[in-house]
Amino acid sequence: MKDESSLVVQAQHGSEEAFTELVEAYQTHVYNLCYRMLGETEFAEDASQETFLRAFQHLHRYDHGRPFGTWLLSIAAHYCIDRLRRRRFSFTSMDQDDDGGGLELPDADAPNPELETVRHEQREQMQSFLQQLNAVDRSAIVLRYWHDYSEAEIADTLHLTVSAVKSRLHRARRELGSLWQEEGIRSNQKRRPHESPAF
Amino acid sequence: MNHQPFEDWLLEDEALTIQQERELQIHLRSCTTCAAIASSNLALHSRRLIAPPPGFTDRFRPRLVDWRREQLRRQALGTIVLVLAGLGLLYAVAGPAMLQAVQSPAAWLTKVTTYLLSLFTFLSVFGHVGGILLRTLPSLVPPSAWLVVLVAGCALGALWIVSMRRLARAPQGV
Repeated sequence: MKDESSLVVQAQHGSEEAFTELVEAYQTHVYNLCYRMLGETEFAEDASQETFLRAFQHLHRYDHGRPFGTWLLSIAAHYCIDRLRRRRFSFTSMDQDDDGGGLELPDADAPNPELETVRHEQREQMQSFLQQLNAVDRSAIVLRYWHDYSEAEIADTLHLTVSAVKSRLHRARRELGSLWQEEGIRSNQKRRPHESPAF
Repeated sequence: MNHQPFEDWLLEDEALTIQQERELQIHLRSCTTCAAIASSNLALHSRRLIAPPPGFTDRFRPRLVDWRREQLRRQALGTIVLVLAGLGLLYAVAGPAMLQAVQSPAAWLTKVTTYLLSLFTFLSVFGHVGGILLRTLPSLVPPSAWLVVLVAGCALGALWIVSMRRLARAPQGV
């Protein structure tokens, strides 16, 4: 790929080719954020495409002093947050259509397949817990762990103060922890009826 | 059970010293609440990026083309509406005058000349009165009042510059 800033300049002058190269470079980051936020591949695809389209429309607003990736993820995060808010107020929940069709599959070639399967299950579980968090908290967690953003970068992306990001991350981790605990208790209760009466 | 400081360490999710790590592990053996936060943190750290299905860029291109086409269509429509509105307005405003000019050019010419003459007279009288005021007003107003006006003007100017700078800052995000 050519130098990113020169691609951005070319795209700002209307070059679709340059912008397509940027799409190619950032598609995984944007798609992953949308998927983690919206929870379904179909919505994630649509939201990522919309993110890139909005980025192209508003390229003239992009400040070159800021990383392009942060700007893109900011657009994606705000788009997903808006969409989740609208979803909350709509009568037909999109969650009802959930086919659970994520593309995350366990790595069969991993050196320890058993451990990989456990990790895969944990990731799946985490994905379902994420959907229960508040939209902004969710985006802060996704940016922190999936995109390795610092608290300052998250604040910049979500237009929050650093202390607000800290408290949101704090709250989200506590909530995820309690969801994790509840799930643990539930799965223990499910297992108990099948256990031998001797125990 | 006392969860502190272990719960805070887990909720902060920052690197711990070897000693802190050891103390935390001992606490986790007996505390299910903190153990759940620790497990959830561990799952967060074993995250994996999900890539879109192949051909994402190819699916994006037609969407961009459609958007551009739509933009062009809207621009063309906007231009047509603007031109038609302009022509309509011109017809409504200048239509009667043009009709009169065509029907009796001499009367129309007299009317326009009279109007221009009265406008010119008004402007010259206005300038004359203004000149007299400008010559006499400075001697009537005390210097302290001029100073107040100057300071107020500077303050308003500074306020305007600051506001414009804040408003002109490029907004990020969409």
